[in-house]
Amino acid sequence: MLLIRHSDRANNAVRTASPGGELFVAAVVICMILVSFGDAVDPTLFGEAGLEFGLFDLGGEFSVLALSDLHLLQLLLAGGLLAAGLAVLRVSGALAQKALRSAPRRAIEKVPL
Amino acid sequence: MQPEFLSAAFLSALFAIVLIDLVLAGDNALIIGLVARNLPKQTQRKVIFWGTFGAIAARGLMAILVVYVLDLPGFMLAGAIALVWIARKLLAPDPAAAGNHAAAVPAASFAVALRTIVVADAVMGVDNVLAIGGAATGSVLLIMLGLAISVPIIVWGSHMVIRLVDRFPSIILLGGAVLGWTAYSMIVREPLLASWFADHPATKLVAAILVFSISLAPWCTARLAERHKPLVVLLPALLVWLLAFEVAASVWQIEVRYLSADDTGEYLFQAARWLGWLPLGAAFLWLREQLALRRRQPVRG
Repeated sequence: MLLIRHSDRANNAVRTASPGGELFVAAVVICMILVSFGDAVDPTLFGEAGLEFGLFDLGGEFSVLALSDLHLLQLLLAGGLLAAGLAVLRVSGALAQKALRSAPRRAIEKVPL
Repeated sequence: MQPEFLSAAFLSALFAIVLIDLVLAGDNALIIGLVARNLPKQTQRKVIFWGTFGAIAARGLMAILVVYVLDLPGFMLAGAIALVWIARKLLAPDPAAAGNHAAAVPAASFAVALRTIVVADAVMGVDNVLAIGGAATGSVLLIMLGLAISVPIIVWGSHMVIRLVDRFPSIILLGGAVLGWTAYSMIVREPLLASWFADHPATKLVAAILVFSISLAPWCTARLAERHKPLVVLLPALLVWLLAFEVAASVWQIEVRYLSADDTGEYLFQAARWLGWLPLGAAFLWLREQLALRRRQPVRG
């Protein structure tokens, strides 16, 4: 029997894992899929595709996405960074949404306009 | 190709081996304790030492054997398919886990105890050995280092491992992801498929998504809403359908163009490729609904 089955939380890891841990593993899996994308497609093709619009060089940006030849430790680092970025986006998005939501009509912070 | 000593590839493979060892570890310590519990104190110490040594030696030998077996054409693919199944098994909760021990019979003598420990470890460690054989990319040094680091942790620090995975269950999810990644890299390294992947590079991405969608399916199933759960079956099935057309075109040497056709045969072929899965998907959803309805109905008589 697997050693981890002795722990109820580990035995049921798909339900008991913390949101942060799940986000990190999901980000690592996304990076792994991006690496396989980089293996499958030559990233320089994007650079040559002529995807320049105004100030943006979308070809260049897409070729950054096409990671390739990354090892597991590099994937973990990249996944950690991606997870941190997504977490920051989520928190700042929630704060921005909260700031944009109008206060209740009789709330103390309501500014009379 | 074997990684250079202490390079990023070497350390990554070592980390993968240790992580796989930890998440797929068997309860060796418990078995040693159960087998040795009725023996005299002096013999108990000997059984614990030689049992641990025998378990490490048996596992090392099996892992080295796996490295050489994986070099044979076809075995890398078979090993990768087995790893996908192992990752699924790791992530799926086991409701009957408690009290399901492989060896609970105390031994009467030193030789019997030693044999029981080594055989139990060899039987429990098959999945583990296959996974580390795949992650080691042909390096025996990596396997030896990985075993030297992880087996003592498992045997003497099993409580620490249980506490660690209990505190951070995400380690199990990461273990599943690393197993999926190892399976993908084994598929890509398969000598029988090397030339095919060189001719069809885009299928590498399809293979990666297929491997992850099957091996991480228990995680997705636990997180998806009830009405979205069929996606866990439909997405891999769709990828297999598209891959099958690619393989069929290679086997029968048919030139297949994407989204373009000139004659009726080509139109039919493209229609079958892009739309042929729809009736099968609908049939699967209908069958699933009927089975769910039948399960909900109370048993009569």
